[in-house]
Amino acid sequence: MRIDVDALKCIGCMACEMACGYHRDDAFALLASCIVVYRAREKKDYFGVVIKEEESLTIARPEGLEIKRIGVAEEPGSTGQKKEADASAKPMLLREPCDLCDGMKYGPMCVKICPVNAISLVEGGE
Amino acid sequence: MDYLSSNKILIVNLESGEITEDELDDELVSHRIGGVGITSSLYETYKDKDPIVLGTGLLTGSLFPGSALGIISAKSAKTGEVAHSPLTLKAGMELKYTGFDYVVVLGKAVKPVFLWLHDGVADIQDASEIWGSDVWKASDHIRRSMGDDLIQTLVVGPAAESGSELAQVCINYWGSGDCWGFGKSFGEKNLKAIALRGMGLLEISEPEDFVDQCFELFEKIKKGSFMGKTGIQDIFSAMGENDATEWILPLVHRNSACYNTPYATNTFLYLSEDPKTLTEPDEPEPGFLVTDPCALLGFKRAGLSAKDAGSVMKACAKYGINPLAVAEFCVKSGEKDPENIEKSLKDLEGPVSVPDCGRFSYWAPGKPLFSNFDASDTSEYGAWWKRRQAVAYIFGIHPIFANMAPELSEELMLEMVNKGTGLELNQDILDKVIEDVCS
Repeated sequence: MRIDVDALKCIGCMACEMACGYHRDDAFALLASCIVVYRAREKKDYFGVVIKEEESLTIARPEGLEIKRIGVAEEPGSTGQKKEADASAKPMLLREPCDLCDGMKYGPMCVKICPVNAISLVEGGE
Repeated sequence: MDYLSSNKILIVNLESGEITEDELDDELVSHRIGGVGITSSLYETYKDKDPIVLGTGLLTGSLFPGSALGIISAKSAKTGEVAHSPLTLKAGMELKYTGFDYVVVLGKAVKPVFLWLHDGVADIQDASEIWGSDVWKASDHIRRSMGDDLIQTLVVGPAAESGSELAQVCINYWGSGDCWGFGKSFGEKNLKAIALRGMGLLEISEPEDFVDQCFELFEKIKKGSFMGKTGIQDIFSAMGENDATEWILPLVHRNSACYNTPYATNTFLYLSEDPKTLTEPDEPEPGFLVTDPCALLGFKRAGLSAKDAGSVMKACAKYGINPLAVAEFCVKSGEKDPENIEKSLKDLEGPVSVPDCGRFSYWAPGKPLFSNFDASDTSEYGAWWKRRQAVAYIFGIHPIFANMAPELSEELMLEMVNKGTGLELNQDILDKVIEDVCS
């Protein structure tokens, strides 16, 4: 099972990010969340969701989903996206991977809390 | 305060450069709860020094639905009385996590400065490089110089620097609910911006109960009357302005929400790109995020096309001027040409109308949205509206969302705050605070 995101439904409210942070810290905090709303291109209204998994990063962009293997160098231009990194995105690789909220009675909390049902639990591993 | 709080009140004297911290003690919270209850109290304490007070509610930044709100309380350049403006988008949440629950800014800086609040640290920084810049350039400069695109900025533009009573404190690049001329107050203090970034952590007194109830509430809200609706276009419909919905729809790119707010109250208009574009556009500034439905409606009433209205709102945000006031001038003058309107921004002055909205921003539409709340008085900016806004500003709930979610009752907010903090606040205390902040 893994988390799937429909970025076009996402309204960027960050409820998923805070719910994940609560799962990690038993408090309200964002620093340890493995699901993060990508919102650095604010003037372009270009936002989506990034999920850190065990061996990959799932990047849910408005135009579609991309799964990048962690540690595998990306070929220039392979995704058609711009290559400059946002400084604020760098700590993502340092975070714990998604464990589907293991041990939580709610199941994956990001799925439960998303107000627009943009996040779902689907069959399949990474 | 151990819970839902950073336990700190920051006092910044721009004149002397002195920065001190006070504890947020339980006694103050027990009497004033939080949000506007405490910003009003701090304003009174320091009112001889012309303070600008920033604050958050106890629920701000939590998992409670709609918990997006921060507040600016200060003397209005328009009315001469203390008034309150909402800090939405991600600014209220970011303020909460900077490590300061409340920030009191006193005095006038000798030279232009901005205040940088992050991770429990407050710095007064030189702003001479961005003094004179428009809001967009100033926000870009601050984010670039700090190396973090997620910094939330409360910024003023040339309107504030020239002393306009219509000057607005903008959030990042966008207009805000500041219809009180707080931009002028920033300008008079030589304060170009307050930059916010927080990596803090809020402890919860009864975490499992608190979060259980948040999830229950989300489930209930997902079945609420506004579900399936989105953006400013559907707010227009709820206001009975169906023509405005049709007017704006061809430009709508995406709708987005303020922090943890289940309804997307913000709508991005693409003005120089195809609104159907899904990939990241090459154009660096393709449009404008409308956060102020009443202002957009004002430009429609002035006879502008939707595209021209979006362009003028963008120009207002860059100049740092309240677009609702500009729309009122356009209605009066009959001016419809966006270039002429943009050119006139620097010369606009004179009184603009202020509805009977108490001390709260009339940026939030004056009636319930998508629900009648079983309220007997739903007249424009009536008693129901004032009480509802007071409650939202006390607890830290998005003021527009508060007017569309009857599920968020006063009783429930008190219960959640008590679960979150371990305090025993009750309806009598809340009634007293509401009475005080509405008087």
